[in-house]
Amino acid sequence: MNKQKQPKKKPTISSNLKDNQRFMEEKVGVGTSFDVGFRQLTILKKEIQLYYLTGLCETPTIVELLKKLTDINETYPASAGRNKHKLTEIIGSHLVHQQVTKVDTMDEAVDQMLSGLIVIFMEDESEAFIVDVRTYPGRSPEEPDTEKVVRGSRDGFTENIIENTALTRRRIRDERLRHEMIKVGERSKTDICISYLQDVADHGLVKLIKDELKHIEIDGISMADKTIEEFLVKQGFNPFPLVRYTERPDVASTHLLEGHVLIMVDTSPSMIITPTTFFHHVQHAEEYRQSPAIGTFVRWVRFLGIFASVFLLPFWLVLVMEPDHLPAMLQFIGPNEEGNVPVVLQLIIADIGIEFLRMAAIHTPTPLSTAMGLIAAVLIGQIAIDVGLFSAEVILYVSICAIGSFATPSYELSIANKLSRMLLIIITSIFGVKGMVIGFTIYILALSLTKSLNTPYLWPFIPFNAKAMKQIIFRVSVPLTKDRPSIVHPRNNYKQPTGKH
Amino acid sequence: MDKDNEKLEQNKQEKAVSFFRKALFTGFFGGVFWSFIGFVASFFNFTSYSPATFILRSWLTTAWTDGWLGELISIFVIGLLSMGTAAIFYFFMKTVEGIWPSAIFGIALWFLVFYLLHPIFPTVPQMTRLDSDTVVTTICLFLLYGTFIGYSISYNYQDAQRAGGKNYSKDS
Repeated sequence: MNKQKQPKKKPTISSNLKDNQRFMEEKVGVGTSFDVGFRQLTILKKEIQLYYLTGLCETPTIVELLKKLTDINETYPASAGRNKHKLTEIIGSHLVHQQVTKVDTMDEAVDQMLSGLIVIFMEDESEAFIVDVRTYPGRSPEEPDTEKVVRGSRDGFTENIIENTALTRRRIRDERLRHEMIKVGERSKTDICISYLQDVADHGLVKLIKDELKHIEIDGISMADKTIEEFLVKQGFNPFPLVRYTERPDVASTHLLEGHVLIMVDTSPSMIITPTTFFHHVQHAEEYRQSPAIGTFVRWVRFLGIFASVFLLPFWLVLVMEPDHLPAMLQFIGPNEEGNVPVVLQLIIADIGIEFLRMAAIHTPTPLSTAMGLIAAVLIGQIAIDVGLFSAEVILYVSICAIGSFATPSYELSIANKLSRMLLIIITSIFGVKGMVIGFTIYILALSLTKSLNTPYLWPFIPFNAKAMKQIIFRVSVPLTKDRPSIVHPRNNYKQPTGKH
Repeated sequence: MDKDNEKLEQNKQEKAVSFFRKALFTGFFGGVFWSFIGFVASFFNFTSYSPATFILRSWLTTAWTDGWLGELISIFVIGLLSMGTAAIFYFFMKTVEGIWPSAIFGIALWFLVFYLLHPIFPTVPQMTRLDSDTVVTTICLFLLYGTFIGYSISYNYQDAQRAGGKNYSKDS
């Protein structure tokens, strides 16, 4: 990208308006493209040209600007020739807006115009004014669907990066909070914001992320955050989510204060939190909205659900395949009668069946999904048992697993766990107890071998860190949490400035 | 900036003292955790030998060693013994990188317990006469146990040695 740009001479703004107009017509398609607007005015007997994007401008502001500009002709006597030479100054002082800049290259002017700013070219001037009159179509902040809480703030990030930085700034009014903007995408020119606390976040990490983002060469990133993630971390065939996403400004701010580095991508309401570990995906804001005891309880139940969503089915399968492993008190487990279909097939079919439902529910309109739920619950479940395809116990355990998946706060993690569960079921069905034990071992080993930005994925469990593990197992009350987590390598370890220091 | 440096220096000193203590605690926790998993595995008969088989029943024959109390005491004792494991790893292997050396360390421990130390545990049959489920389960447990203790110690040690600004990288 840099190599191509440097030798090419950047076209500067010509003092001849005709040249500029030709450039705009040829390169930007003024007159061809519907959404590029153009207006020519005569101010103090000189021509000025305005270019703007019809869809992204705030019309009242532009009208106000035009009023002020045309007023110039009346306030200044045209006969006074010297006013002609001060055209830039006069126009500049009449652009009643707080964000006015001057540019002297065509590239910059065009970039800004295509972002929704208005560009003003003037006759005999080799500079242009840029006024920020943009307004982007978008929704107002609302509670994100995937991270709801009973109490607590109901605002969420939106698709507008400016609003998103504002939502974060509302919560951290620290002068050391940095929002650095980078443009990525040769054609899309998407804004990406890297947010961090300057005196807390690890400089190496900030630099690494900046370098990675600057070296992205791509025409556009319509899938915003996901594309950036793929450039940032080495995913390969690893199904586990290597970064955490959040749409909640309070969660984002908490992580900023802990020393994480956040990446916001314009057009996406999901922030990327780096560095991330497995245990970032199993926590939820709700735990911090309740008292520590309740939060801990909720968290344990959640862990149990997540644990069940991975290990329950293979475990049950082993007990069905080799019932002599069951201790005396648990003899009731296992199907009473031999089914018509092998249990492992039942499990896989039922699991895939639930996957059908889940996928269908994503894009089914709400009125239809009620009917869908009815069909799923009554027809498929009950009748599959009646015709002898499934045994009742299979439905029970597959359902527990499915609910466990839904109890996983991170959607990405729940799907990755589902995939792992499938593989564990298959290896268990082939090798029995040995398969299950080796499968579980490989699951844990694979997770410990995974690294996201050189951060061990299973930290603080493997490698073990007692302090951080305590924070994971118990929801510790905030006054007792004095240190920042060591995994972010904070430059300033103490969360409570007046405390132990 | 000076203040920062000073603080870092302090941090380092503090760490040098408490590294070993951290390693010992890691050993204790690892011993308790993985022997508890071993107990669960023996409860479901994935392995024929529970923690108590090794720790208590080798020299005690009273009935209570078969119950949960025996297991509980054994798990605790294994936790204490694991502090020794952690100390050995800390002194000889803390500079090794990555997970695999620790995993191999775990498997080596398995051979140590089931082969070399075998005479100490009369209740456990010879390695060659163990049933295959027991062998697989115990090897996996020792592997995870070794990984847990070894990788934790070596990672924490090396993480503190690394210069600031080099903590993160894209590769692996």
